[in-house]
Amino acid sequence: MATREAGKKMIMLKSPDGMEFEVEEAVAMESQTIRKMIEDDCADTAILIPNINSKILSRVIEYCNKHVPTTGATGAAASDTVAPAALAEDLKIWDAEFIKVNRATRFNLIQAASYLNIKGLLDLTSQTTIDTISDNSLEEIRSFLSTKNDYLPEEEQTIRRENQWAFQ
Amino acid sequence: MFTFAIEGMLRGAGPYGLVVTDALEPDCPIIYVNRGFEEATGYRAEEVLGRNCRFLQCRGPFAQRRHPLVDDAVVSGIQRCIDNGTQFRGDLLNFRKDGFPLMNRLHLTPIYGDDDIITHYMGIQFFTNANVDLGPVPGSVTREPVRSTRFAPDNFFRPITTGLEQDNFCREYSSLFQLTDEVLCQSILSRLSPRDVASVSSVCRRLYDLTKNEDLWRMVCRNAWGSETTRALETVPAAKRLGWGRLARELTTLEAVAWRKLTVGGAVEPSRCNFSACAVGNRVVLFGGEGVNMQPMNDTFVLDLNASNPEWRHVNVSSAPPGRWGHTLSCLNGSWLVVFGGCGRQGLLNDVFKLVVSGGCADSGVLLSDTFLLDVSMDRPVWREVPASWTPPSRLGHSMSVYDGRKILMFGGLAKSGPLRLRSSDVFTMDLSEEEPCWRCLTGSGMPGAGNPAGAGPPPRLDHVAVSLPGGRVLIFGGSVAGLHSASQLYLLDPTEEKPTWRILNVPGRPPRFAWGHSTCVVGGTKAIVLGGQTGEEWMLTEVHELSLASSNSV
Repeated sequence: MATREAGKKMIMLKSPDGMEFEVEEAVAMESQTIRKMIEDDCADTAILIPNINSKILSRVIEYCNKHVPTTGATGAAASDTVAPAALAEDLKIWDAEFIKVNRATRFNLIQAASYLNIKGLLDLTSQTTIDTISDNSLEEIRSFLSTKNDYLPEEEQTIRRENQWAFQ
Repeated sequence: MFTFAIEGMLRGAGPYGLVVTDALEPDCPIIYVNRGFEEATGYRAEEVLGRNCRFLQCRGPFAQRRHPLVDDAVVSGIQRCIDNGTQFRGDLLNFRKDGFPLMNRLHLTPIYGDDDIITHYMGIQFFTNANVDLGPVPGSVTREPVRSTRFAPDNFFRPITTGLEQDNFCREYSSLFQLTDEVLCQSILSRLSPRDVASVSSVCRRLYDLTKNEDLWRMVCRNAWGSETTRALETVPAAKRLGWGRLARELTTLEAVAWRKLTVGGAVEPSRCNFSACAVGNRVVLFGGEGVNMQPMNDTFVLDLNASNPEWRHVNVSSAPPGRWGHTLSCLNGSWLVVFGGCGRQGLLNDVFKLVVSGGCADSGVLLSDTFLLDVSMDRPVWREVPASWTPPSRLGHSMSVYDGRKILMFGGLAKSGPLRLRSSDVFTMDLSEEEPCWRCLTGSGMPGAGNPAGAGPPPRLDHVAVSLPGGRVLIFGGSVAGLHSASQLYLLDPTEEKPTWRILNVPGRPPRFAWGHSTCVVGGTKAIVLGGQTGEEWMLTEVHELSLASSNSV
């Protein structure tokens, strides 16, 4: 395993398109899936993250970097000067900026967050989907989900009656 | 059982499958799989129990034989270990129910019984995505009305290899259906409100199918109403309970609310008034009260509504709190009963055996307006006064409801109005999670800045019933009402609305003529039980009126 600074273990993550990312072990372990691999000693050289391309993987690492709990000498100094509430506020603003991506990227991030088991990222990325579904008409939801109305007219009427209460 | 011990050890290690098979039965059928197995493979326990594990080597539930890419050497290695009664460790290609390939790092361990015979096999499976190239799934197993040509069902993640995202490319990949993992879709859907879940089922067939799932609705209810509410709903035996989907609908629309009168057996003797009743699961517990000559009582009675013929039963309690009347009785954590205050032999009491109290009547007859909190989860619970820069007029006979977890809502009571004491219909709220909680006037008559634009608010009253509904709504009825208004009319308020407005709820069935806060409680989350509501004078505790919030499942 590569070591950059004393006391900080580094982990190499590889995307299927051949890019390599060297990250701190603590950052990589924000992902429960990777944590499990490290703890199982399956991570002695580099971890291949199948099916997550370098573009998405770099975004995921960016997220984990920001959200990894600060510990050690530098971390203690940071939490001394910044109040926890302010820190949380700062993270929220950062998250809001982070999630300003196009739909394709967002869905890829949802899948990556699910596969890598990063709860915070999954919550963040699925929230937009939830908000869109809550705030829009059926037609708008269809266009957001890139799907079509595949009901027969009479079926649609039955289902509409069944779910009338949702629109009251 | 040992599986639970293993589960405990492995918890925190991330998703893993745990399978136990019975080695004494022919072909080693599966007798247990954990949730991790269900989530990783897409097969549910009921689909696989009784079968041999080797179906995981077949691609999808309809494949008849082992997939050619499964390594024969590994399979015969497993067979050898089973024959020799030794452990097996190795990587085996498996398939999810939807045909997606998984690499299974399998640890197979034989379990020996008392006489050195292998009784069980335990398999621990760490699944990772397998990087193998497969053709399309023969015969799709999931109904997918929309399928783009580029969407290959065997590739869970389709890497975007180009930096240029043409518009049509994005659209094909930005679909929720790309998330072939049903569990993931459901975890997203479960965060929607009940109405939104129902509305998305009109979008298309796939979503309709996804929303016809009781597990999903249970998660929706829990996310929307809080786990405390769903726990209360679960105290009703499953057979008597509506499905979660139906419950979500009925408790949202209140379309099935109805009054019903029933007579229960047993007796609460000696007869009394000013007792206090509360719900514990699907049972009603009654404690104390005022007997003849203002005699304070300390006996306990239970009415079990799960029984086919419910009846009052006296319960012998050792070291019961001293006798009292006019007290409160609350249930915490589903089983603790907390008694507070009331009037005993030596006058008014403030001993706790309770939760949030506000106001009341002091020894001297002065009305109070202070608020105290008691955190019973502390090592040494201490009453703490909640300081507020402004307090509503002092009062008694009001009701206090909790909503949104940490907010309280106070309604009505007999309140000070200048030199007089008048029945009130004011609503005040306070958010106890704020750093400096303060009272806010929501609606009411005489308060500055308040008003009730709809004008359908409940007439002023005290000693009424306030029922908290899922989602923070409060239902008010009964009590001692000013003027000639009926006490039976139901009023509904949603304090979470932008502009909270009172609504009248018209309900079929026969309502009680009187209903008092201290003799009403909500059992099983869906039924308000009003004890002895026929006359205001005599307490006929075997006469019970029930306001059911959802339809019953007995039909």
